[in-house]
Amino acid sequence: MSNKVLVQELRRVVGEANVVDSDVHLQLYQYDAYLEERRPDAVVFVHSTEEVSRVLKLCHAHGVPSVPRGGGTNLSGGTIPFKGGVVLEMIRMNRLLEVDKGSLRARVQPGMFNLELGQALAPLGYQYLPDPASQKAATLGGNVAENSGGPHCFKYGVTTNHVVGMTVVLSDGEIVELGGMAPDTPGYDLTGVFVGSEGTFGVCTEVVVRIVRLAEGVKTMLAIYDSIEKGSETVSAIVAAGMVPATLEMMDQLVIHAVEKSLACGLPLDCATVLIIEVDGLKDDLEEQTEAIVRLCMEHGAREVRVAKDEAERALLWAGRRGAFGAVARITPSYLVCDGTVPRTTLPLVLKKVAEVGEKYDLKIPNVFHAGDGNLHPLILFDWRDAEQKARVMKAGMEILELCVQLGGTISGEHGVGLEKMDAMHLILSADDIQAQLKVKRAFDPADLANPGKIFPAVQEVSHVQ
Amino acid sequence: MSSDLAALRERLEALVGAGNLTVDGAAYAVDGMVPALVVRPGTQHEVAEVVAACAEARAALVPWGGGTAMAMGNPPRRLEVVVSLERLDRVVEFDPDNLCITVEAGMPLGRLQALVAERQERLPLDPPDADRVTLGGLVAANQSGPCRLLHGTARDWVLGLRVVLPDGTRIHCGGRVIKNVSGYDMNKLFIQSFGTLGIITEVTVKLLPMPVCRATVLGAFTGFAEAAAVLAEVQASFLLPEALELLDPAAADLLQPVLGLDSRGTFALAAGFSGSQSTVDRQVRDLEAMVASRGGHARTFREAESDRAWTAITNVQGGAAPDPRRVVCQLAVPIARTAGMLDSARTRAAAQGLAATVTAHAGSGLVCAALLPGDDLTEAGLAAVTEALREEAVGIGGSLVLLQAPPRFKARVEAWGKPGPSFAIMRRIKAEFDPQDLCSPGRFLGGM
Ligand SMILES: Cc1cc2nc3c(=O)[nH]c(=O)nc-3n(C[C@H](O)[C@H](O)[C@H](O)COP(=O)(O)OP(=O)(O)OC[C@H]3O[C@@H](n4cnc5c(N)ncnc54)[C@H](O)[C@@H]3O)c2cc1C
Repeated sequence: MSNKVLVQELRRVVGEANVVDSDVHLQLYQYDAYLEERRPDAVVFVHSTEEVSRVLKLCHAHGVPSVPRGGGTNLSGGTIPFKGGVVLEMIRMNRLLEVDKGSLRARVQPGMFNLELGQALAPLGYQYLPDPASQKAATLGGNVAENSGGPHCFKYGVTTNHVVGMTVVLSDGEIVELGGMAPDTPGYDLTGVFVGSEGTFGVCTEVVVRIVRLAEGVKTMLAIYDSIEKGSETVSAIVAAGMVPATLEMMDQLVIHAVEKSLACGLPLDCATVLIIEVDGLKDDLEEQTEAIVRLCMEHGAREVRVAKDEAERALLWAGRRGAFGAVARITPSYLVCDGTVPRTTLPLVLKKVAEVGEKYDLKIPNVFHAGDGNLHPLILFDWRDAEQKARVMKAGMEILELCVQLGGTISGEHGVGLEKMDAMHLILSADDIQAQLKVKRAFDPADLANPGKIFPAVQEVSHVQ
Repeated sequence: MSSDLAALRERLEALVGAGNLTVDGAAYAVDGMVPALVVRPGTQHEVAEVVAACAEARAALVPWGGGTAMAMGNPPRRLEVVVSLERLDRVVEFDPDNLCITVEAGMPLGRLQALVAERQERLPLDPPDADRVTLGGLVAANQSGPCRLLHGTARDWVLGLRVVLPDGTRIHCGGRVIKNVSGYDMNKLFIQSFGTLGIITEVTVKLLPMPVCRATVLGAFTGFAEAAAVLAEVQASFLLPEALELLDPAAADLLQPVLGLDSRGTFALAAGFSGSQSTVDRQVRDLEAMVASRGGHARTFREAESDRAWTAITNVQGGAAPDPRRVVCQLAVPIARTAGMLDSARTRAAAQGLAATVTAHAGSGLVCAALLPGDDLTEAGLAAVTEALREEAVGIGGSLVLLQAPPRFKARVEAWGKPGPSFAIMRRIKAEFDPQDLCSPGRFLGGM
């Protein structure tokens, strides 16, 4: 079908103004926070489950692929319409539909930003725990699709631990409910399988999430180190001491410099690394816990530990951490974020090896990451206009992922595979593992129209693995 | 035994050795259906070979862990072979520094707990009968206990699985790191798959440090309303109990000899706390005050006594030799409706003259009702109560599943209830993984 006809039919379904296909518009939808680009044939603004269903029925009838798009902040090419077709702009489905405090659940539309949900719940005394650093611009639908994490995962888990149900429109337009307000729905846990499926199973149009009371108290610390090794050793020491802080985040010197340059949060410029540590819960033992952690940090070579005195100081520390990627983006034309994950105790070793990779390929690699989860984010800086440099970056990135896998880890902790890591999938999955995953894909999307061409290496590549 | 089965028997014997195969399947009957062969592979590799041999012979199989959840589900449509995982009970790798352990699927939960306790760690999953429940069975049946209130269920603790698919292919899911989005989250597919998609042979779970202090407050109330009011008050407070169990008078009575509850005929609310001394003390204090303010009577147990109390509470619906006529249902409802559901189950049963024991994971939306017909009551009456309860639960967005019931009863009352529109996806998944319909055929939702 020609583009013109497709656009005409789409307009009949959702109204004239809700379909855009001009060059300028389409250009806006040809990229996300990763490095690839591909232009869609049309962009459709959707407003309800039924509308999504009608649009997908039309696409299905014509064999046109589609890709839902939330904030476009994903770092793996998840929203790039790799095979063309329609981009579904979800951002107008942004309402909080229901808060049931007694049942600790909220029902939300997927276009709502993660932070907006937090802001809506806080006055009621409640919170939704997963909080990706991008929460200002990332939607709940995107969080669900990527199974996003955030700085509080060490204690509270990732998106999948907090999503208990959803409404989904399959690629043929069929509307299904998965899970729900009650626990342990009989049958396969399709909610659990859908979370993290990167838009390749269908479009999520409503999410039921678990909410909890805001913590009674919270304490935030900044531990400052002259050696990055000492900092990462402390992370394991805290866990070995039987403590479960809400947050264990790390930033190295290059990141600190970038953050200070753009945000001026008062981080020391002459240290090697800082750890942001947060404990929360009942207020009775927070003082105790804080003291114990400060002691541990000092014993493991911290130069100084600052405890945030009030909410303003705490907010400043978090602004620095949450703004880290953005700050780094201001000191380099482009960067590649690696998302490898390792067993926590190997952090000192893996950080040393990442630095070696940087030297080998002559690239700058600052680190800011979720240390408690063993989830690295080496940011490989480069200039996208320099093809030779980009090739080196890709090689270095792959080498870092290989390192993570060798140390017992994996290639992605929270950013997803998308287009970015398809070639690394064979590092962790056998051909049989991949075939098993494809069975699930076929069960959800037999026509292969939901965000096609992602996650899995093309079939001919799979066959020569193993 | 047919000639096909005789050939399969020879083949399996060659794979696992004669000592690990038996034709006396009486102890492994599933809903009264006795398997022709019981085979006990000794390694994950052998499991794969056994499953492949069954697939070639088109023999239907049911995996068997500790047998604690075998009373769930529909009677199997066919059953030739039971594959027992009892010999797969080894530790593959224990990494205490990274709070993570990998074991073979036949490892009993109780043994795993004892092992990791030596390093001051624990897996916060606490289904009844921990000494018999195997890790593979726990995962396949998604079993949980009171602790799910704070710690969740298998889906929150499983990091990785190895699975033998229905054609004998071996795959692995996840890994041993706590964050992993490398491809689909296949762990979730096999958790609560009831042996219908293959056999889980290895499980990796994350662990928690052992808490410094534990305590349990048991409140006894003369009326349901008082117990429910305290429950609501705890839920709205800052307190972070690990478990909140509500017990009807029949269940509370069963605990009486163990816990020395003061008066009979009372509702009981049990709250478990763990953590630092100061937080546990504060929570005990707060809860005792809440109980007293509603005219209840509180008893507090600490440390080893607290552990003993929880073992008793967790297993209160079990009992030594459950009556085979007993029907046990699990009702899942939105959290705020839990106490009401417990009360409804109790009163409906009483109205029909059924002896009932009803308990609830009161902060988690789960009610467990064990119903026993009086001497003059027909199965029809029992079925009527069950159906009425199911209707009530479904009406508020929940479900009722049979945890245990005589096979004849299951012919009257669907074990899982009616599937919803997402069932089409489930059926396609089943067909993709098990096109010959050989793994636990018919036992799951919708006769899948
Ligand atoms: C500065 C920065 C910091 C970040 N920090 C973190 C972090 O701390 N933790 C973390 O995990 N990630 C982080 N990310 C990555 C990113 O923000 C997350 O992946 C986020 O969840 C994506 O949300 P989004 O709305 O932008 O989704 P998009 O990028 O629009 O889409 C992501 C994927 O979801 C699919 N999708 C979107 N909506 C739907 C829907 N309704 N139904 C089905 N599929 C859908 C898309 O097709 C795509 O495959 C960060 C990114 C940036 C740029």
